[in-house]
This record gives sequence, C-alpha cells and structure tokens, in this order.
Amino acid sequence: MKKLLIGFIAIVTVLSILPFYLVFMMSTYYSNDLFKGLPFLPSDFLLKNFETIFKTNFIQVYGNSIIVSVSAVVLCTLVSSLVGFAIAKYKFKFKKVINNFIIITMMVPMQISIIGYLLEMKTLHLNNTLLPIILVWVSYPFGAFFMTQFIKDSIADEMIESARIDGCSEPRIFATIVVPLIKPGIATLATLVFLWSWNNYLLPLIIINKQQFYTIPILVSTLGTAHRNDLAARMCALALSIFPVIVVFLLGSKTFIKGISAGAVKG
Amino acid sequence: MNMLKYKSSLAKPEKNLNRSSVWAYIFCAPFIIGYFLFSLFPIMYSFFISFFDWNGVGDKLFVGVKNYITIFTRDPLFYKSLTNTLLIMLMSTPVEIILGMLLAVVLFNMKKGKSFFQTANFLPYITTPVAIGFIFAYLFDWNNGYVNLVLIKIGILHEGIYWLQEPATARMVVALMIIWKYLGYFMTIYLAGMTSIPEEIYEAAKVDGANPFKTFIKITLPLLKNITAFLLVTSVIGGLQMFDEPSLLYSWGERSYVGGPDNSVLTVVWKFYNDAFKSDSMLGYGSAISFSLFAIIIVFSFISYRISAGKEV
Repeated sequence: MKKLLIGFIAIVTVLSILPFYLVFMMSTYYSNDLFKGLPFLPSDFLLKNFETIFKTNFIQVYGNSIIVSVSAVVLCTLVSSLVGFAIAKYKFKFKKVINNFIIITMMVPMQISIIGYLLEMKTLHLNNTLLPIILVWVSYPFGAFFMTQFIKDSIADEMIESARIDGCSEPRIFATIVVPLIKPGIATLATLVFLWSWNNYLLPLIIINKQQFYTIPILVSTLGTAHRNDLAARMCALALSIFPVIVVFLLGSKTFIKGISAGAVKG
Repeated sequence: MNMLKYKSSLAKPEKNLNRSSVWAYIFCAPFIIGYFLFSLFPIMYSFFISFFDWNGVGDKLFVGVKNYITIFTRDPLFYKSLTNTLLIMLMSTPVEIILGMLLAVVLFNMKKGKSFFQTANFLPYITTPVAIGFIFAYLFDWNNGYVNLVLIKIGILHEGIYWLQEPATARMVVALMIIWKYLGYFMTIYLAGMTSIPEEIYEAAKVDGANPFKTFIKITLPLLKNITAFLLVTSVIGGLQMFDEPSLLYSWGERSYVGGPDNSVLTVVWKFYNDAFKSDSMLGYGSAISFSLFAIIIVFSFISYRISAGKEV
C-alpha cells in the first residue's frame, strides 16, 4: 500500500516536471529533427536557436518584462506594507472601513475595470508605454490584506510603543523597526507579485499593441505566427521565458510556500 | 473586545494619539489613492459605459439596460460560454480537490524527500500560462503530438485522436491543463492544513486504537473543512474568470481560432475579450458582459461557500 502511494506521487511528480524537461531539451534541437523521436537527450542546436530568437526584439522584450515585474514588486510591497502597518498597528476612525474595503475589493474580478482602465490610459496618453501594466500593481488588495495579517502576527505593540517613547518618529518606526521584522512577509509578497506580473497575459494583450512594449507572454504567444515552422526556436524562447520564474521560485520556495499556505490555513 | 481596545487608546496622552492617527492616514493614502485611480475609477467608468452602445471611437449611444437584456435573453453564445466554463470547472475542480488531498496525505506521512516533491509539484503553478498553452497544444497535436505518438506506440490507439478538434476532447484537454497547473498548489495548501493540526489529536486517536483510515475520516477530513471551503471558493472565483488556458491552447499558428471547435471552450472572459476588443470592439456590450460575470461570480461563490462550509455560516 505504502509503495503504491509513493509510486503514485512519483508518477504525478514526473508528469509535473516532464513538460518542462521536454521544453528545455527541445530548445537544443534543430526543428526538423524534433519529430524523429522523443527528445530526452540534449542536442547541439541551442546556439543556433538563440541566434534565431535574438534576431527578433527578444532582448528588448525581456528587458520590458524585467522592468515591469521589478517595478511592480517594489511599488506593491511598499504600498501594501504601509497600509498594512497602519491597519495592524494604529487606531483611527476609518480603520474598520478601510479593512473591510480591502477584503471586499479582493473579490472584485479584474475584468470589470479593464475597459475603463484602457480608456483612462488612452486619455492620459499612457497606453503604449509600460506604465499601465505596472500601475495596476500599486494598490493590490491581496497585498494589503497579506501585509496586514503579517504585521499583526509578527510585531508586538510594545516595540512600537517603546520606540515612540524614545522619541522615534512614525516614518522612522516603519523604516527601522517594522520593515526589518517583516522581511519574510515582504519576500513572499515580492515573489508572488513577481510571478503574477511576469505571467500576466490578459492586460498587456489588451493595452499594448506596439511590439517595442511587448512583455514576454505577449511576444511568445505571437511567436507562433512569426516563426511558424521553427518550433525549436519557439521552444527555446519559451525556455528562456520560464527560466527566471523557476529561479525566483527556487530561491524563495520555502518562505514562498509557507506564505501562500498561511493565508489559506488562517482564512 | 473592541470597546476595551478603544478605551485603552483613549487612556493614552491626547497628543500622542493625534500624531499617530494622522500618520495612519498618511500610510493608508498611497493605497487608497492608487486604488481609486487605477481600479475604482475604471470600474465606475466601465459600469457607466455598459449602458451605452459604443465602439470606442464614434458617438456614445445611450441604450439603458439593453446590453444586459441582450446578454441574458438574446445572446445564446453567452450561455454557451458560461456552460463551457462551468463544464470545464466541473471536470477539473473535484479532481484537484480529491487528488490534492490524497497527495498531501501521502506527503504528510513521508519522512524523506518531502520538500523535493512539494517543490517539483509546485512548478506548474508558477509557470507562464503562455508556456502551458503552448506545451499542451504541442503535446496534444493530432499529427506530431507526443500523446498520440505514445498511445499509438504502446498499442492503445490505432490512429491518432483529434484531441483539439472535437468539442468533448477539447474541453477535456483544457480541464487537464487546469488540473496539471493547480494540483501542486492544492496539495501544498492541504499539506499546510494537515501540518497545522496539533500532534496531540493524532496521538489520542492512536491511543484509542483508531486505524490510519479511520483517523483520516474522523479527524483529518473534518479539520480540513475550512481549507476545502477556501480552495473551492477561490477556484470558483478563479475558474469563472478562465481565459489564459483555453485561449492560449488555440493561439498557435494554423490552429488559431476563437472558441475552439464549435465554440466548445469559449469561456465567458474569452467572449468578453472577443466582443470588447477583437471582432466588433463593442465596449459597452463588453462592459455589460464583465458586470454580468461579476454578478455570477458573487452568486456562485456564495453557493460554493454555503455548500463547503456548512449551513450554519
């Protein structure tokens, strides 16, 4: 029985990893050789496939994606930590209102704002820049909720009180006492926002139509038409686009998994 | 409890309270302002537009609730897209919940390699949907796909199945994509839930002579109820917004067409995207679809919450 179960999980694991493995292997093949059998071993065409990809504006697009994700992470973690700190550790009149507001807005699907957002960005002449796909992450209700919970759980009121008695200003309390203590929470939120913004497909698809502002998902999805026959090159582009996500995930996987499961277990 | 807290805050020096509550508003300001500018205002604007007939360029024509009436009475494709979405969710969510729980139980009782299996199974969840769409389109290709290749080689099939060209199998493939993507996530959440159950409860069950199966049914399962509710409600909310997986499965070169075979995997959001931005650019109608979807999401998440969390809540 035990062996059976372990066999079962082994099969599921193989199925989880196999497609990745195939993508990475296929990116080293010459397209026409791909169908001569299952590509389990690497071939020697990787550099040629790189050449094909880098003839497009892949590097520029890659840069765009990095700019978008890094800005999204910085803005979202900062804004979320600030509002989370206020709700978790201050007493003020509209605290409950803001807290409920965050919880309700977490359930609002993004599609209902997208048409208005597109028109707003057009009016501000920001469409066809990278800003629209960064700005949506500024006020991200999940981030605010997550940081509120995290700060509630990880910082004792006494610490803030004693800092206040010592004459520490409120912004300094935030910067020198709160931030160092909530680093694990910031790391989890940062990883999530990085992954989500990197993978975001619908919003850039709607807002951006100039190739110089494409992000990775949009470019890779249009590679289908540009390199109709060069399947290996497409696989290579895919491998390159998955790669940073896997690195970010593996670096933070322990805190990351803890972070996302904490929300579920509590809620 | 609240009264107590409030009292203790009143007891503090007046000046201190004022100073810090001003800062609280300052700390909240970026979030509130940002949400108003980039979410709330666009939402209200979309809602306003949903009462107009407008293609984004010409004149807006006020039509009242006509868009909404059309959606629910004269647009069979809307119902079809909703049915498709629900069908795909019905095929995927139960599998995710049952298999996710089973895998979590296996991992929970494992002594070695726990974190390896967890990390490996989590990889699909973090992967770009574009990649998942492409990988599956490729694996299930009729001609060159490895699924047909392998099935023929081991003798299950004589000739390849047109996975992506038949409505039933197309939905199956989309459901499979979703299961593949979320199984590791479900497993991880369940595992976290099991880890949070106090050890003493299991010890007590052992002392009372309960076998592992009975322990699972009588102890673990009821204690995981909240987690199941969480997973069910979030997958209903997320599932009704399904777009990436089906649309990306059908965006590759010659197979690129909207809705899949016979519109069998056209989801609500895909229809929204298509009506609002692709074929006719009907922004008013598109907005109305998105708000109808929002209403449907509220109803379904409420129902699923009731079912999974029990009637008393």
